[in-house]
Amino acid sequence: MVDWRVVRSALCAIAAVLAFADGALAQIPTDIVERSRADLQKQAANPDMKRDGGTQPQDWAYSLPDGVTTRQVTFYVDGGFPLYGKLFLPRGFSARAGRWPAVVVGHGINAISIGIEKYGARFADRGLVAMAIDYRSYGFSGSEISLLEADPTTDERAVWEREARVQLKRTDLNNFHEVEDFRAAVSFLQGEPGIDPERIGIWGSSNGGSVVIMVAAQDARVKAVVSQVAGVGNRPATGPVAIPAAALADSIQRARTGHGAEVDGGFSFRTKIDLWSNQVNREFRPGAAIDRIPEATRILSIIAEHDELIPAAGAPDAARAFKGTWQVVVVPFMTHFQMYSGTAFEVGSTLAADWFLKYLK
Amino acid sequence: MAVMVSWAATAAAEDVVSRDVKFFSEGIQCYARLYLPRGFKPDAKAPAVVLAPGWMQTEATIDKYAARFAARGLVAMAIDYRGWGRSGGSVYLAEPVRVDDRQRFSQHTAKVRIRRKRLIPADQVLDIRNAVAFLQGEPGVDPARVGVWGADMAGGHVVVAAATDARIKVGVAQVPVIEGKEAGRQASPRSPELHAAELRLARSAALPPATTPAGADAETRLALADYHPFWFADQIPDATAILFVVAEHDARVNNETNAVAASKLMKGPTGVTVVSGATHALSAPGAFETAADAAAAWFLKYL
Repeated sequence: MVDWRVVRSALCAIAAVLAFADGALAQIPTDIVERSRADLQKQAANPDMKRDGGTQPQDWAYSLPDGVTTRQVTFYVDGGFPLYGKLFLPRGFSARAGRWPAVVVGHGINAISIGIEKYGARFADRGLVAMAIDYRSYGFSGSEISLLEADPTTDERAVWEREARVQLKRTDLNNFHEVEDFRAAVSFLQGEPGIDPERIGIWGSSNGGSVVIMVAAQDARVKAVVSQVAGVGNRPATGPVAIPAAALADSIQRARTGHGAEVDGGFSFRTKIDLWSNQVNREFRPGAAIDRIPEATRILSIIAEHDELIPAAGAPDAARAFKGTWQVVVVPFMTHFQMYSGTAFEVGSTLAADWFLKYLK
Repeated sequence: MAVMVSWAATAAAEDVVSRDVKFFSEGIQCYARLYLPRGFKPDAKAPAVVLAPGWMQTEATIDKYAARFAARGLVAMAIDYRGWGRSGGSVYLAEPVRVDDRQRFSQHTAKVRIRRKRLIPADQVLDIRNAVAFLQGEPGVDPARVGVWGADMAGGHVVVAAATDARIKVGVAQVPVIEGKEAGRQASPRSPELHAAELRLARSAALPPATTPAGADAETRLALADYHPFWFADQIPDATAILFVVAEHDARVNNETNAVAASKLMKGPTGVTVVSGATHALSAPGAFETAADAAAAWFLKYL
């Protein structure tokens, strides 16, 4: 039996520390968390709402709010690689009138945008333009491509067109690429008629919540960030990460044959990934880049109290290390994948929209 | 601008065997010339070095260094970056191809666009790292004794690679360009012109005009603006030995704010060797030999 008074006082203590660090005026009200406490507790206790190891298809469903419209778009990264985005346009949006704030919405590890479209719909319902994106080689975005024959091109010309045998590859997980994908999405939105290029935010959940922190460290155009159930951490840069023996052998095989081993990518969509992707992502350390985030960037971390994947101290540590405003809100009772459904979705999406509306004004 | 070397200089490499090899860097077929020391045997445990060319250069401009290293007993692999020299380019689909998402890999015949002469520093670092992996798998090479050598911009790549890749034990950065010392560490806005270019690139797959010289296009300028090898200098482990070889009269690179400043951040063995009388190209009589022998001695000492 959990003593809720103890939990509550612990959460209040965390909140007090953070309020001290950031200044209360910089915060958004979190009374929705308190108001929802009983429902969150019910969600946590409901066997049908358990979400071990991933979300479920019913978690991805949503109804398009009245007046919200959508449009599928293609944008480009890395010299012409096509990426997919789905725009959610708020009621009254006009490309000819107004300058609307806009948010890029990015999915978690080895996932696709279908699972987080409902956040885009919710943000549009609150008056934000939102664009849910698929990272490179995921969902409706383009495939990694390699030639199955020798490349005959020479430096005589910069561009060649020809017919060729090619291999297309899906789910080529790579956090560094995802940062570029986010930044290309920001560029796309900044060039979209009706959008105010000075009012761009980014939202990411789970591993995507780590990626948005790195995006903020590299791109001053991002004014507001929401990082949900994400590993962040305030880890100093300590040089090369260790390469386990299996990864070392795999890197050699990749360099000599073009192909490495596969492993289960896990979680909601359960596709395979390259073994090497795990090594690439170990090198990805947004916690070591906190001091590169402009102090004017406003960051909100939303934590699940019983997150089984993410250490609880990571986001608060990073928030303390950041010199600007970084609020941390704990959603009680929830595990990692419960955040995407039920009351937890209502709470998480409301807090995120509140944050963007406050700081993209 | 970068190291220019005449073919005639390659003649020094008596006793050295070389052959073409193909390695893969993120699926792209890349080319390298592999130089083996005299008497090299596949059952040996030899130290090995990857050599990376300068900005807009190919393996042909640096293979005389590889030959000289091999003559000193090192396995040496001079690479072409992706999209340059005899390496393959970046491949894009030029027509829609239907993919079945149940299959992670699929094979097709399709119209493709292959882009060459792109200049993305971070990709060049990956090419160097993948060449290191290739060498580690080469029979006769000791995978625990691999170093990297780079000239000009690749001198900065050496710093980044040594700071990010645990496989790299020794580095030599020759007439290095190590950008970033003066750059603010926080993300900052781009110039209006570059910002406009960034939006264009995200909203269209249109290619730069064919008349745009390599290195002058928006993609390259954006990539360079985001590339700060100097920021990696203090992350190189104390077990990694980095030598900086500079030219006394380098008109392209300020040695003090590049090599010398970076060397002061090294935690492990380091040094700055000045090639007297030399310019950036190290074309003065004896300059190549001095620079190459300093590098070879460093590799032999620390590998």
